[in-house]
Amino acid sequence: MEIIVLGSLVISVVATALACFTRNTRQTVRFLSVQAATIGFVELMYCLINLLVGLHFEALIDFFATFAEWFSCAIVIPLIIYWGMIKTENVTDKPVISIRKATILVVAIAGSYIILWIGRLFSLPVKLDVLPVSMLMFSLSVFLMATRRDPLKILVGLNMAENALYPLLAESPISLVPVMLALMIFVNIVGVFVIIEAYREYGTLSITEWRWTS
Amino acid sequence: MYSLLPLLSLVVPFFIGILHLFTYPFWFLESFFKKIAKTALLFGTSLTLLLVLSMVPYILAGEVLEVPQLSLCADLTNIAGIVSVALIFFLTSIYNIKAEKGGRLKPSIYNFFLLLFLCCMLGLLLSRDLFGIYLFVELTVGVSVILVAHAPGKLSTEAAFKYLIITAISAIFVLLGTLIVFMLTGTSNISAVIANGDVLIENPHLLMLVVACFIIGLGADIGLIPFHGWLPDVFPASTPTINGFFCAEPIALILTLYTLIHPFYTIYPSDIIIVLVVGVGLVSMIFGALLAYPQKDFMRMIAYCSIDEFGHIVFALGLLTSMSFIAGQYYLVNSALMKTGMILSLGSVFISTGTRNMDSLGGLFGKMNKTALSYIICALSLTGVPPLSGFYAKWLLYNTAYDFLLHLGGIFTAVSALILLVCISMISFIFLLRSFHRIFMGQPTENLKKVNKVHLTMWLPTIILAATAILVGLQPNILLSLIGTA
Repeated sequence: MEIIVLGSLVISVVATALACFTRNTRQTVRFLSVQAATIGFVELMYCLINLLVGLHFEALIDFFATFAEWFSCAIVIPLIIYWGMIKTENVTDKPVISIRKATILVVAIAGSYIILWIGRLFSLPVKLDVLPVSMLMFSLSVFLMATRRDPLKILVGLNMAENALYPLLAESPISLVPVMLALMIFVNIVGVFVIIEAYREYGTLSITEWRWTS
Repeated sequence: MYSLLPLLSLVVPFFIGILHLFTYPFWFLESFFKKIAKTALLFGTSLTLLLVLSMVPYILAGEVLEVPQLSLCADLTNIAGIVSVALIFFLTSIYNIKAEKGGRLKPSIYNFFLLLFLCCMLGLLLSRDLFGIYLFVELTVGVSVILVAHAPGKLSTEAAFKYLIITAISAIFVLLGTLIVFMLTGTSNISAVIANGDVLIENPHLLMLVVACFIIGLGADIGLIPFHGWLPDVFPASTPTINGFFCAEPIALILTLYTLIHPFYTIYPSDIIIVLVVGVGLVSMIFGALLAYPQKDFMRMIAYCSIDEFGHIVFALGLLTSMSFIAGQYYLVNSALMKTGMILSLGSVFISTGTRNMDSLGGLFGKMNKTALSYIICALSLTGVPPLSGFYAKWLLYNTAYDFLLHLGGIFTAVSALILLVCISMISFIFLLRSFHRIFMGQPTENLKKVNKVHLTMWLPTIILAATAILVGLQPNILLSLIGTA
């Protein structure tokens, strides 16, 4: 794995881990944006270099598809969630477990994946060498979703989990990219719609209280 | 054989749905559209049913209808599912005429999402491409969540959010599995994946990871235990009509699960794959039946009963033999049709009485005799009482399980498994019969004496489904002729 790819992956893992400890929704959305921006940055740069060096139509399409993917993950989706936050509340809360326990768990998750990665590095096909990092990011995102009561933060976690597959997604057929993006945006709009409706009904953004009143 | 029929059966509901959406900006058309919305939905579903039925003669003649560019395929492995999905949508849209009382979505948007949902179900059944399947799974997640949120009231938003989170994570698992296969084999077409199976055999641990991803991903969408968290909340929270439409979902998702798992078993016939699928099925059927028993809310009871039924189907399909595929698909189609009949009948009860609590119900047989009759016929069929269609489904399932286990573990294992399966069916029989007794028999309370009779459009679909149970029970070949092995 090239050092620049490794660097961008490390930054996105750190952004995902830090999102587990944020206090308010705005900060969590920012971390989502940072995670998505860094994870797609290298691929975007590769496409840009290919475009500049090759200057052919295929490279142009590649660049636009990658840019659209990067833009929707790093800008559009965070903005949709941000819009949901404006329509409801910027909730300030902590993870449901203490910060100390959360830190230990995050470090444990990261450590176990690093061990797994080192152990499996030589048996995994070269094409899939980013798989353990993707799975680490995915696990951290699920951890974020499991330890929060604010549905907008949970939605951020869901997007972070989806972004975790970005390094693998970059290899998918180019014709699928627009459909995939449209679907990702659609699911987020549906999520925000449901959260806004629930907020109207319950008057709170704590999913625990949604459960109690039902 | 190259045919546009599979593509048309996807495009037609989608296009009619889009037409509904176009009326949205024209506010002056709104009152007019409100009057024709339900008929327009019925038109969309009936046209799709006709298109689907037009494929049947070709397939019965042994043809495989294909659109190779889009990896769409209709043959004997999926036609029974396709016809059942279209039939469920058609019957539920008849029911929708009087049962739909409005909700969060405007009629045009509601119709658009319903027709899009039909398109997703057919797409899942027709697609033979991993990315195509993922796209339909993701679209199904979004569309079904919005349909759950359509129901007025608090419960639907909470259930819709839970549903969104669980199923969206599951879609990520499907994507992960798809991406691993695509990166290893360089293709996403299922036939081509089988042809390039050598690469997967070289990486058996990755192949097992892919299978696990598909089981988790689609298992959560189906509602199998332990990924079932959303199901008992979604059924009571949705409108009766939406619950009717949702009965088509397991047909598409369970057959998709089989479509995804079977090729990997063909490439790498490991017993672990069978153990994984059958294990999930077995746990689902045991816990589904046990959790359905104590429920007071009839929709929750049906939700757990569905988990039990999904367990049976996944158990049968998970044996991954030709015979088990026929048994599983027969069971799947019968179970979906019977469950639709039961859910629509219970929906009529809810619409008439305003309650789902079986303790507050009773004595409705006089006022709702046709609904009661169709409910009990469908319930008895579901539990496998002869001569109804469910009997043959259970018989096929038991036969397959017995044969498989006899070769694997000897007569003791086979007989023990049969006893277990019969016991689970007995539990289902008891709680479904008890629910009939609690809802329809006895003396009605003062409040229930004022209950109005059920409208024709609400009992007719349930009676048709009950009649299907009798007809297919007496002549199982009607359904069996539509089912073939891969």
